[in-house]
Amino acid sequence: MWVKPWTMKEGFLIGGGLLVTGLLLQWVLGPVEWSLLAWPVNLILLVLLVLVIGVMYALRRKVYTFEWMMHGSAAVTCLSYAAALAILMGLIPQVRGEGVPWLSQMLRFWPFVLIWTWMMLISALAALNHLLRWKVKEIPFLLNHLGVFIAVVSATLGNADIRKLQMTAFTGEPEWRALDELGMVHEPGLAIELHQFTMEEYPDHTPKRFASDITVYTEDGKSVRGTVEVNKPLKVNGWKIYQYGYDSFRGAESTYSVFQLVRDPWIFWVYLGIFLMIAGALCLLFFMAPKPVKV
Amino acid sequence: MSWDSFVWFALGAVLLWAAGAFFAWKERRALVYVCTLAGIAVFFAFILGMWISLERPPLRTMGETRLWYSFFLPVAGIIVYSRWRYKWILSFSTLLAIVFICVNLFKPEIHSKSLMPALQSPWFAPHVIVYMFSYALLGAATVMAVYMLIRKDKTTEKEINLTDNLVYVGLAFLTFGMLFGALWAKEAWGSYWSWDPKETWAAATWLCYLVYLHLRKARPGEWKTACILLLVCFVCLQICWWGINYLPSARGLSIHTYNMK
Repeated sequence: MWVKPWTMKEGFLIGGGLLVTGLLLQWVLGPVEWSLLAWPVNLILLVLLVLVIGVMYALRRKVYTFEWMMHGSAAVTCLSYAAALAILMGLIPQVRGEGVPWLSQMLRFWPFVLIWTWMMLISALAALNHLLRWKVKEIPFLLNHLGVFIAVVSATLGNADIRKLQMTAFTGEPEWRALDELGMVHEPGLAIELHQFTMEEYPDHTPKRFASDITVYTEDGKSVRGTVEVNKPLKVNGWKIYQYGYDSFRGAESTYSVFQLVRDPWIFWVYLGIFLMIAGALCLLFFMAPKPVKV
Repeated sequence: MSWDSFVWFALGAVLLWAAGAFFAWKERRALVYVCTLAGIAVFFAFILGMWISLERPPLRTMGETRLWYSFFLPVAGIIVYSRWRYKWILSFSTLLAIVFICVNLFKPEIHSKSLMPALQSPWFAPHVIVYMFSYALLGAATVMAVYMLIRKDKTTEKEINLTDNLVYVGLAFLTFGMLFGALWAKEAWGSYWSWDPKETWAAATWLCYLVYLHLRKARPGEWKTACILLLVCFVCLQICWWGINYLPSARGLSIHTYNMK
């Protein structure tokens, strides 16, 4: 044990250490408070994370742990913990609210967060290593590891900056107030005027299509006319406007339409990560598995 | 085209696939391709007919996804056959396709015309079809794992390499399915990932296959451990596909319910 080169044993021990550390943090601090990461805290954390990765990479020859993190055994053990925690999350009903059992809120469970952080560090170091020792045949490796790092890190850090509001607009009456998930009133800086709500039904009266013909007025004096329906949101001034609901008792006769307004300043980075991962998966198809060594 | 004519198309396709599998044992290669591809064409004709008469892609209900699964099994089978020439692979894919066809014949579930607005999206078809193809390949990889675990030291390099390749391609399609789902969810619900029970199990499955992939690279000699891992992966995959309908943690909570009442 702890004799170089480290193997999966050391990897499982490090993961176990992270679990114990996480449990202690959970016990002392309580569940992870994601809302604390709102801008600019998330930016500061991102800068720190990048610095930490840079320092780890620079010191890889001096500190063996950092070099080992780029080995396959680090990846295998860390992924095993992440998979096990995901399975646990799938088996235990997840609930909202405060004061619930730790495992019922896996996303706020410190060991879960630490394992994922560890995984992102490993992924970033592996990507960096392949980026700096550029080889064409390593492109799929680079795309996959860089992609997953960018997607997961920006989705996690950006989560606290996502704003989701609900706006109910009545026909012919411009509405500028919206409610958040807790029922607090907000003014998102745009108003929606509903011209007409339309709905088509199947013969069994389940909804086939519902849509709202609206004009959106913005604070900077723009007015945008468009139709919003399920799967076809409208984008105005950084907000995406989704068709969310209607008066379900009146159905097609509904005099109002409910919209969901979503703003996610980090979405570009999440998409960038996703596209890199798609490109990486495409490469997996063409490069295929390496020939195995002798059994 | 209606569900009533399924039995005839299925019968025709199965007979052709069985003939293809038979010729594979007899090493009559041309006939293998002709029969199997003809069977695939017959089966796809039914899917296409359903698509036209339903006025939507047949992808919504569990029964409809099984339709695609039975379609992709011989497709994956013939691809593997053309690359590795395993005599048994087409017998296996035919047998498994028959199982899913029988489930559809005896427990068809709902096949109504209506498609809720959330599913009316250009992402719908690629998301589900890519997943079904991936499930077929990863199913084949699981059978390889069982086969190698039974044969133990008689296992050849070629077999291990085939399994790796099945997982590589299957995992690539699994990744497409997951990411297409995320892009679609953003357009439909406003968030790309919500840790809905189906999504949680999709993540768990994806992570398990990543463990396999990294283990194969880091410890090529430990292929037996990797085979056992593939069985765990496949269990996760099945829970993700249909098992969550029976899990207390997911019941009634998932937005991924196929059968809208």
